[in-house]
Amino acid sequence: MNNITMDRTTGADSTVPALAIRNLDFWYGSNHALKGVSLDFPTRQVTGMIGPSGCGKSTLLRILNRMYDLYPGQRATGEVMFDGCNILAPGLDVNVLRSRIGMVFQKPTPFPMSIYDNIAFGVRLHERLSRTDMDQRVESVLRRVALWNEVKDRLNASAAALSGGQQQRLCIARTIATRPEVILLDEPTSALDPISTARIEELLDELKQEFSIAIVTHNLQQAARCADRVAFFYMGTLVEVDTADKMFTAPQAKRTQDYITGRFG
Amino acid sequence: MPHESVHTVQSYDQELEQLRSLVNKMGGLVERQVAQAITAVVEHDEVAALDAPEMDPQVDELERETEALVIRLLALRAPMAGDLREVVTALKISGDLERIGDCAASIARRAMRNELLACPISLTGLHSMGRLVQENLRRTIDAMDQRDPELARIVWHSDTAVDELYVSMFRELVTYMMEDPRNIGPCAHLLFIAKNLERIGDHATNISERVYYAVTGNILPIVRPRGKTFD
Repeated sequence: MNNITMDRTTGADSTVPALAIRNLDFWYGSNHALKGVSLDFPTRQVTGMIGPSGCGKSTLLRILNRMYDLYPGQRATGEVMFDGCNILAPGLDVNVLRSRIGMVFQKPTPFPMSIYDNIAFGVRLHERLSRTDMDQRVESVLRRVALWNEVKDRLNASAAALSGGQQQRLCIARTIATRPEVILLDEPTSALDPISTARIEELLDELKQEFSIAIVTHNLQQAARCADRVAFFYMGTLVEVDTADKMFTAPQAKRTQDYITGRFG
Repeated sequence: MPHESVHTVQSYDQELEQLRSLVNKMGGLVERQVAQAITAVVEHDEVAALDAPEMDPQVDELERETEALVIRLLALRAPMAGDLREVVTALKISGDLERIGDCAASIARRAMRNELLACPISLTGLHSMGRLVQENLRRTIDAMDQRDPELARIVWHSDTAVDELYVSMFRELVTYMMEDPRNIGPCAHLLFIAKNLERIGDHATNISERVYYAVTGNILPIVRPRGKTFD
């Protein structure tokens, strides 16, 4: 397959990783931000990425849906295989890519429109749904993120009126509304209180039945709680990747041990 | 794994250091308790016989302190990786040490019983078993103190000899009891003493296993090479 299409063929075989990164290098101009990274994101699992600030974990996330395309001077080499095609290839339809690989940011970023339209907006770009079908889609994703009961009576109210935690759940709802296969989350709870954080974490646990999830977090406890596998980055290189269990009880690399136990960084 | 590097939060290091020193103190105390218990039996030493049980409350108190500190560390520091292994291991080790203390006190309490003092039976077997157990315990505590997984593994293996000595003592004592019913009283006491020594060996083995895990992150094989059994 040369270009990515809306046909979903991933996920049928859970032994094939949702995303497979091979020898990935990335530059911000002359700054070599990622060096020879190879990493798999297993299908329908949560992969956590940890490491000190500037280690390259957010950069990696931004590569996975070609966010870096928006900026001149940023370039990637290597291979990121998704559904049989290399998403780094020039000419790839990034709109399709971003509908299949959704992203949620650190700060909730609701559109300045109603709660309903926040969800319907992205869906309309890719699908033509009847009013009834759209209503159903909006309700089902709001239910999935456990927001429905809180907003069902004010779907036409501005999303800006929601609390931070609700806004973040709305953003996740918006992301899953286009039915992606992979969800990327860049520190999704760092601006939220512990209860909202717990709700998002519970949501991740539920969403991984259906989606493959990559999450960047500075909160090690969160990585321990949410991730099936954890990758540790340091200065642009992948130091170690293993099951969360192994990483937090007996990591192999001294650097991982030092970082996880709070001895540097 | 010796941690050359220190935590960014220094008070965390101090608490871990405090935990180590509590467990080491407990180890030292229990080691002395076992030594006194063995002296009490083998040399009919009355002072030693009283000394060993008297140390018990101190050991118990140290165990409680260790427990409280471990819970505090888990709740407030959320230790990870090597730190987590060390903290959890300290809790388990303190439990084993406390049990060793109980065994030692139990041995010492039997030491001055009249049946034993008047006993014609040679204590040579008990003597060598006591020495071996004491030696293993000492090396276990050294392994713990120095975070030395290799030493821990060696001690773990050497408990086999203790088991074998116990089995041969058991046979010997049963023979005496069959020979003359008047031997039953003292032999029953000696049997309990031997059993307690054997238990001390087992607890020391547990401690070595835990030291090995805390330092390396690996678990020693579940089945330890064992000495002869009764069947």
